[in-house]
Amino acid sequence: MAEDSQRNFRSVYYEKVGFRGVEEKKSLEILLKDDRLDIEKLCTFSQRFPLPSMYRILVWKVLLGIIPPHHESHTLVMKYRTEQYRDVYHALQVIRFIKDSTPQVEVFLCMHQLESGRLPRNLAFPLEPEDEVFLAIAKAMEEVVEDNIDCYWLVSSFVNQLNNKYKDSLPQLPKVLEQYLNVEDNRLLAHLKACSAVSKLPYDLWFKKCFAGCLPESSLQRVWDKVISGSCKILVFVALEILLTFKMKIMALTNAEKIIQFLENIPQNNTDAIVSKAIDLWHKHCGMPVHLV
Amino acid sequence: MAQQANIGELFSMLDSSVLLVQEDITAVFKDNLNSDRGPMLVNMLVDYYLENNSQQALQILSTLQEPHDKHLLDKINEYMGKAATRLHTLSLLGHVIRRQPSWKHKLSQAPLLLSLLKCLKTDTDVVVLTTGVLVLITMLPMIPQSGKMYLHDFFGIFGRLSSWCLKNPGHVAEIYLVHLHASVYALFHRLYGMYPCNFVSFLRSHYSMKENLETFEEVVKPMMEHVRIHPELVTGSKDHELDPRRWKRLETHDVVIECAKISLDPKEASYEDSYYSVSQPVSICLQRRQIDPNASPYIETHISYGKTTLQKITVPTNVPFLESCSIRLLLQQENPSAVCGMTTPPTSPGIVSSESSQTSSQPYSKYFSTPAGGKGTPLGTPATSPPPPCISDDFVHVSLPSAAATPPKKEDKLDPGRPLLSRQQNVINSEKALEVPGSKSSVNLSDLPEFLGCLASDEDSVEKDREEDAISKEISEITTADAEPVVPRGGFDSPFYRTSESLAASQKKPLSVASSVQGHSLSSEPLASSLDKSGPEGARDTPKQAFTPIDRPCGASDESPAGNRVGQSSMETSILTPSPCKVPARRRMGFGSGQPPSYEHLFEVALPKTAYLFVSKKTEELLKKVKGNQDEDCTSSTSPMEVLDRLIQQGADAHTKELNKLPLPSKSADWTHFGGSPPSDEIHTLRNQLLLLHNQLLYERFKRQQHALRNRRLLRKVIKATALEEHNAAMKDQLKLQEKDIQSLKLSLQKEQARYHQFQEEHDNIVAQLHSQIRQLQHDREEFYNQSQELQTKLKDCRNMIANLRLELKKANNKVCHTELLLSQVSQKLSNSESVQQQMEFLNRQLLVLGEVNELYLEQLQHKHADTTKEVEMMQAAFRKELEKAKFCVQQQSQRLDAFQKRIVELESQLSKKDHLLLEQKKYLEDVKIQARGQLQAVESRYKAQKRITQAFELEILDLYGRWEKDSLSKKLDDEKTEAAEAAEERMDCSSEGFADSVAGYSEEAVGRNGETKPPSTRGSSNSKGGSSSELSTPEKSQNQRMGQFSSRWEASMLLEPSTSVPLTVGSLPSSTSFLGMKVRELFRNKSESQCDEESMTINSLSDTLKSELCKDPSMVEAKAPSSPINPSPSPMNQDCSVGQLHIMDYNETHHDHS
Repeated sequence: MAEDSQRNFRSVYYEKVGFRGVEEKKSLEILLKDDRLDIEKLCTFSQRFPLPSMYRILVWKVLLGIIPPHHESHTLVMKYRTEQYRDVYHALQVIRFIKDSTPQVEVFLCMHQLESGRLPRNLAFPLEPEDEVFLAIAKAMEEVVEDNIDCYWLVSSFVNQLNNKYKDSLPQLPKVLEQYLNVEDNRLLAHLKACSAVSKLPYDLWFKKCFAGCLPESSLQRVWDKVISGSCKILVFVALEILLTFKMKIMALTNAEKIIQFLENIPQNNTDAIVSKAIDLWHKHCGMPVHLV
Repeated sequence: MAQQANIGELFSMLDSSVLLVQEDITAVFKDNLNSDRGPMLVNMLVDYYLENNSQQALQILSTLQEPHDKHLLDKINEYMGKAATRLHTLSLLGHVIRRQPSWKHKLSQAPLLLSLLKCLKTDTDVVVLTTGVLVLITMLPMIPQSGKMYLHDFFGIFGRLSSWCLKNPGHVAEIYLVHLHASVYALFHRLYGMYPCNFVSFLRSHYSMKENLETFEEVVKPMMEHVRIHPELVTGSKDHELDPRRWKRLETHDVVIECAKISLDPKEASYEDSYYSVSQPVSICLQRRQIDPNASPYIETHISYGKTTLQKITVPTNVPFLESCSIRLLLQQENPSAVCGMTTPPTSPGIVSSESSQTSSQPYSKYFSTPAGGKGTPLGTPATSPPPPCISDDFVHVSLPSAAATPPKKEDKLDPGRPLLSRQQNVINSEKALEVPGSKSSVNLSDLPEFLGCLASDEDSVEKDREEDAISKEISEITTADAEPVVPRGGFDSPFYRTSESLAASQKKPLSVASSVQGHSLSSEPLASSLDKSGPEGARDTPKQAFTPIDRPCGASDESPAGNRVGQSSMETSILTPSPCKVPARRRMGFGSGQPPSYEHLFEVALPKTAYLFVSKKTEELLKKVKGNQDEDCTSSTSPMEVLDRLIQQGADAHTKELNKLPLPSKSADWTHFGGSPPSDEIHTLRNQLLLLHNQLLYERFKRQQHALRNRRLLRKVIKATALEEHNAAMKDQLKLQEKDIQSLKLSLQKEQARYHQFQEEHDNIVAQLHSQIRQLQHDREEFYNQSQELQTKLKDCRNMIANLRLELKKANNKVCHTELLLSQVSQKLSNSESVQQQMEFLNRQLLVLGEVNELYLEQLQHKHADTTKEVEMMQAAFRKELEKAKFCVQQQSQRLDAFQKRIVELESQLSKKDHLLLEQKKYLEDVKIQARGQLQAVESRYKAQKRITQAFELEILDLYGRWEKDSLSKKLDDEKTEAAEAAEERMDCSSEGFADSVAGYSEEAVGRNGETKPPSTRGSSNSKGGSSSELSTPEKSQNQRMGQFSSRWEASMLLEPSTSVPLTVGSLPSSTSFLGMKVRELFRNKSESQCDEESMTINSLSDTLKSELCKDPSMVEAKAPSSPINPSPSPMNQDCSVGQLHIMDYNETHHDHS
């Protein structure tokens, strides 16, 4: 590793002392310098560290396959993507599915539907649940990403990843959550069971929408880092951590509906801490990804 | 009863004359008393004693033990109440008490004490009173703390009796009063000694009254002159002196001594204060004062009586001599007794007195015997006697009386007696003068100044006495004027006489008087000491004191010539005395009998003032001596005290008998000689007096007993002290010895140390020597070591040298070997060379031979082959050229080879490069492939999107078509409603809205109803067939292919359609009214024009145009779309329609599958 010498020799100790992310940017830059980006390494990095926001979009795009690993073809691919986006957009405009005034999210939805061939006959057609998931994710992504094209691509790729890659694992997550909750705080679990709220927890919001609309975007993107980089288990730990953090309130509530309602509208003030704890918890239970850098 | 009778018998036997019987009886009584606890025997004993005055009974009673005391006391108390028996009872009580029984502490609680006090307070009989007081005084120290409750009774008694003494209310004889006074005086001492504060306060209160003032002045005050201030008066208090704790420590005799300590009276005072010598004269004065001049006749008569009686009892001898002798003895005996009493405690009074009497006789016998032996000087005669000078000193006294008492020379002696006396006084004075400065051993001398001082202080009282003395002297002179023994008065007691006289004349002589008195006492002391010394049981301390005054004169043998002279002269006179053989006997008897005459004369005349004292003392002493004599006769076992008591009683009895025998007139003449009391009283008085005397005597004896007890204790202390001293001395000796030992040990230690030092030094020297030796040896050793080192180095050098030499040797050997080798080689070579030479020679020879041969051959050759050389040369040249050519060729070949080899290497490297390149290229290709794939993916997705878009568009177009068709159909229906409203149309209406409709629309006119139904079915079948076939055959065909297929199918369908729909198309164009219809008509017109050429072309072109239109003009497409047969109705929702629609759906579905 020729780059190793350039790295700060203190980097080893920063982590021990508790500073995170000092060297991450640099290592990420090193990673990104490679021509033909190493997807694996990027995945590991992303799982291990929070992504710097300036590289987040790029990494996401790469990880989601929006742009290829070769730098050369980036522009070309992006040109294609842009053209595709415009075409679809134009088509939708032509078939009058969207107007200029149509919100971007719906535009994205229509585009996605169109691309997936599920475009309804007309706009009055009622939304399906997966469309709602898409809308929520798109809304969250819209906050994160400025560029519409990027945003659309990211949303659609993200949703596609959810639908394809995590199709099997997502339904398992509630069970996993219950299991970990038993490990972490069985009293709370007992309480939830007593309230018969276990089965009614907002699993759609948590696992299908990936907390889109539940957490603020600043926190959300850190969760999504992990999801995009290939681990959907982080969702379980975020949910677990939410339960643990608001344990007292949950314990105070005895009604399942109230609990659900509360969990669907959790306070937004300390979500960063929740996410950090959740990541720690995740690391604790699932182990640290191997440091490949 | 029998017992009582028995007891009566016993009582009768009690006073048996047989001693053994007496003892037995006494033992029986005692046994009885021990066994019997009843009061009967005691009562009977008391009765018996009171009746018969039995001594045995008294003895038994006085030794009564504990349980009987109550009976005894009760009995005594009973008899005390009766006036008749009171006196006897009191004397019994006195006897009992003096024995100090173990139950004496009970006395204070007994009613007897109360009755005694009552008796003393009320009784008027002097004898009883005196006896009672004496009993009380005896009792007081025994019950010091319990008696305090009767303290005021005691004081009252004292007050009563003291006033009695003065006022004499009973008008009893004066002689009784004297006794009473004495006992009151004793009571005073006792009370003052025991309870000073209370007593003084009583005195203060009692005599502050006016009526008692006289009593105080006359009686009490003189008493107080003889006591010191009691220390308790200063330190104690009324309560303190009654404190039981004060008395707890003190025994009876302690109390007595305590009382005696504060007394200044020689009779009372203890020797510890050494006042006896002072107080003696004072007491004499006191006694003298008490004795009135009128009393002297009684004494005289009494003495005379005594003399007569004694004379009767004893063998008559030379009375005057004995008299003088006895008096002198008495005087000397008296002083020694006082001295002995103070200084040397006798073991028991009775024994001492007898002993002293016995011993006192012995020295005198010696003294007398020595002169009787006819020797001029008594020197050396007595074995144990002191040296002559002292004897002569003693003899002064001895000789004087003897001289004075010699009857034959009575008249002659008168004159020499005076000078003698005067001389004697000188002697005494000189003696005293000698003694005063030098002596320290004599207690008396050392106390002399003190005594003198006291004497001076007593001058007042003395003076008072002197007046009386003068009177009495006159009287005595009167009385002795016609009597013979006037001389001895001056002879014997001249010092007293003189002093008194001189004192009366001038008051400047008290010193000399005192000194003379002292002189007497002093001079008497040696005698006493000598007596004691010779005594068999003389106390240890006595010899010391006894010898000292004797030793001292010894040192000063030539003290005074006068004394010697006197002694000698007295010797001379004494020689004239009866023969020595007579002396012991006479003296022996004289002790008992010789007293009375001297009594009469000497005391009557010479010492009227000390009469009482001397009377009492002399009687006692003499009685003792008599008793002693008697004891010698009968048994020596009985105690002298008993003897004395018996003697007194016997004397009294004898006296009464004698008195009865005597004719009364003589008696009366005798008594009335001085105008005394009537004779009937006289007897009684005398008897009582005797009794009183006895009481007094007993009391004094008791006191002495107490003294003895105390003395014994003191003696013990002294013994202890001496023992300790001796122990000390022994310890000192031991200490000295040990010190000596230590000294010697130290000395030896020093010696040892010196030796040690010497040894040390020697040792040091040796050590030093050895050290030096060692050093030398070490030095030597070092030298040797150095030498050896040197030698070793040398050895090493040598060895090195040897090694070198060896090396050289080796080298040389090597060289030798080498040379040998070389030599051998050389020799070999030589041999070789020789052989070579030989060979060479041989070869040379051969060469020579060969050369010769060659020459020969050459000659031959030259001769033979001259033309062949050219050919050979040519050939050679040819060969040479060929060789060269070959060589060149070879060279060329090798060069080529090299070149090829290089080329091969190059090519190989190129090959590897190429391989590498190939790899890189492959990689790159891969990369590019990936890149391309990525791009392709993007493109693909784009394409997909495009396809989707197209689909969407198609859908839209179809939709629009559908809508348009519907619109037009509805319009047509509206038009045809008027013509015909058919069920088929309705059926069509209801059955189709999409493709079927349009198809129906196509085939409406041409086919009619039957034809209408067919085409859809066929089409549907074909469509389905095509769809299925396409599905089955090419599900994965490329888009183009698919498209192509699609188009071909479409063509096929179009082909089919025309077959069926050609007529349709011709005749059934859409209504010209609608724009679309016109358009279509136009189109079809063109088609129909070109239909002849090729329908398929048109259709294709149509599709193309459609396509292009679709792209170019969406509106047109929209307009056409519904009419387009290709466009399926994509809506999956419209499945409830006709079969045609189902077909279309099928198609659609297949298409969907494709996408």
